[in-house]
Amino acid sequence: MNGQQEFFAPLLDPELPSPAGLTSWNGSDPQVRYAVYRNNVVSSLIDALADTFPVTQELVGAEFFRAMAGIFVRQQPPRSQVLAFYGESLPQFIEQFPPAASVPYLADVARLELLRVRAFHAADAEDFAAETLGHRLGQVEDLSSVYLTLHPSLGLLGSPYAVTSLWAAHQGITDITGVDPYKPEYTLVIRVGLDVQVRRIDVAVFDFIVRLHQGESLGNASDQTHARQPEFELVSALGFLAQLGGISCIKTGKEIQT
Amino acid sequence: MSEHISPAPQRCGAPAFYPDAGLPVHAGLGLKPEHFRQILETLPELGFFEVHAENYMVDGGPFHHYLTRIREHYPLSIHGVGLSIGGDTALDARHLDRLARLLDRYQPASFSEHLAWASHGDVFLNDLLPLPYIEQKLERVCTHIDQVQTHLKRAMLLENPATYVEFAESTMDETVFISEVIQRSGCGLLLDINNIYVSCVNHNRDPYAYIRALPLAAVGEIHLAGFAREQDANGDLLLIDSHGSAVAEAVWQLYEYALRLVGPKATLIERDADIPPLDILLAESRQAERLLQAASNNVQIKEARA
Amino acid sequence: MTKTTTAAALALALGTFLTVASTPAVAGDMAGMEKCYGVALQGKNDCKAGAGTSCAGTSKIDYQGDAWKMVPAGTCEETASPTSPTGKGQLEPFEAV
Repeated sequence: MNGQQEFFAPLLDPELPSPAGLTSWNGSDPQVRYAVYRNNVVSSLIDALADTFPVTQELVGAEFFRAMAGIFVRQQPPRSQVLAFYGESLPQFIEQFPPAASVPYLADVARLELLRVRAFHAADAEDFAAETLGHRLGQVEDLSSVYLTLHPSLGLLGSPYAVTSLWAAHQGITDITGVDPYKPEYTLVIRVGLDVQVRRIDVAVFDFIVRLHQGESLGNASDQTHARQPEFELVSALGFLAQLGGISCIKTGKEIQT
Repeated sequence: MSEHISPAPQRCGAPAFYPDAGLPVHAGLGLKPEHFRQILETLPELGFFEVHAENYMVDGGPFHHYLTRIREHYPLSIHGVGLSIGGDTALDARHLDRLARLLDRYQPASFSEHLAWASHGDVFLNDLLPLPYIEQKLERVCTHIDQVQTHLKRAMLLENPATYVEFAESTMDETVFISEVIQRSGCGLLLDINNIYVSCVNHNRDPYAYIRALPLAAVGEIHLAGFAREQDANGDLLLIDSHGSAVAEAVWQLYEYALRLVGPKATLIERDADIPPLDILLAESRQAERLLQAASNNVQIKEARA
Repeated sequence: MTKTTTAAALALALGTFLTVASTPAVAGDMAGMEKCYGVALQGKNDCKAGAGTSCAGTSKIDYQGDAWKMVPAGTCEETASPTSPTGKGQLEPFEAV
């Protein structure tokens, strides 16, 4: 047998015959036995995806999802031994998967589910009490010199589809027949303690937190958001973020330079 | 049965590592997220918990939260599934580093891995794949185990595999291959009784003779699990190492036999699919604990007679 | 200057906000949902073998040819879809407007 390559290749390619050089004690066709490995590789990876993307699966049904995931697994098998985040590229795959085109919001629902898994496993961060935030802000003169570090679990998703309402409907929170999937929604995902929370937020708050996330100063993020979304209220946005434990550190320009 | 008791291990030229003596000689359970809370609330009587290393290679969150707390009450065994020790590809240095950090953080009483491969190139296949038993593979496996033990600064246990095919090119029995690996590398043996039963049925071998052919003095831990039944192309029984059901009666019998030869050793009940309520698994662990106690009484009787 | 406030004024307003607002004023409309998630997610690495000799690993599916016959058949059919004639989601591709 020509090394592991010959055993490996057919595991992910059903067109290839099973490797030569395999035997069985009773002379039975080794292909059936080799299929145990083929099945386990493919089905265990499909199972991993089904665990990460339960609502994505519900939206199209298990049969469709598993068939689609089977194609994904063969095209993009894991490159890491840690399977917790396997499927990071499934949303892009779904977008380019013609049979799923009738469910245009499917990829963004998958993106939301990925954010939840990332939040679940994200690094822990010190609690930064909301009162401390107020106290620190009281000590600075200029908001444009204030930089906030957001909690490692915090993720954001803006979508032309009502992905969060769709997701919530699958948690028994809302009735799915009342959801209009073609309504844009903006979503914040964060782990609070041990629980991953999914919050629908308005577009102004979304813009603001995206800017903070990208490293803009508090003053700049606020001004820029306000320029585009006049209804933006800095106090309530910041209060919302602080109450969720979304701010894990505050730094002033001076501290950053040193 | 005393004629089957193994001789003292021969370690000519092997590095100065020895099987972990760290796991208590009691029954333990595989730790599953659905049982985290109940375990912490009830602290059931158990010798240890075992986790799959790769599941805890994440930055933070509930998995580390619960494992940290459970670790405060129980000894821990860390069982890797991703090192690909039997692989043609070199060991993944990043993965070894992750493993070293995990072991450093949790200070497990035992670390174990499989005689199998799971990666090819940079593709990870999430399965324990078989290798032919030839000299070239033997050398490679020993090199890899050497690297692991050196990097982790501790001895590891190597688990005997469950397999579904055999290779025409194999020049030695699996038991000979394993014995050579253990003698050359100085690693210990994780004796998986279910794997022995599954493989021996699948390849029409005598599981009792298989056990006798292993270097039993190197056993540091025992695994018990359930299998599923399928058929091969001739309609003969083909067992699958599914970890999805209770330990089978035939495997309990083989376990009792192994205990008579090996003496009592830390024993894990493994369940990775169709996870039942914790109480069901605890009942299985009590069954293992009873057999361990009986084995330990036998040892005392033998010692008293000697 | 910023349209909202100075740092000192913001600190003061934030203090008041956090004292007064027992629930966030922003559309935090899904608070406290799904508390059990903490243990619902599985560890995905294990050492079992599944699926046995089923055809999961050998079935040949080609969605570029005619072989792909499956259509989404899950809860998407229940969603309100103003662009479909029935008002429900539909199975054939269509242009959302």
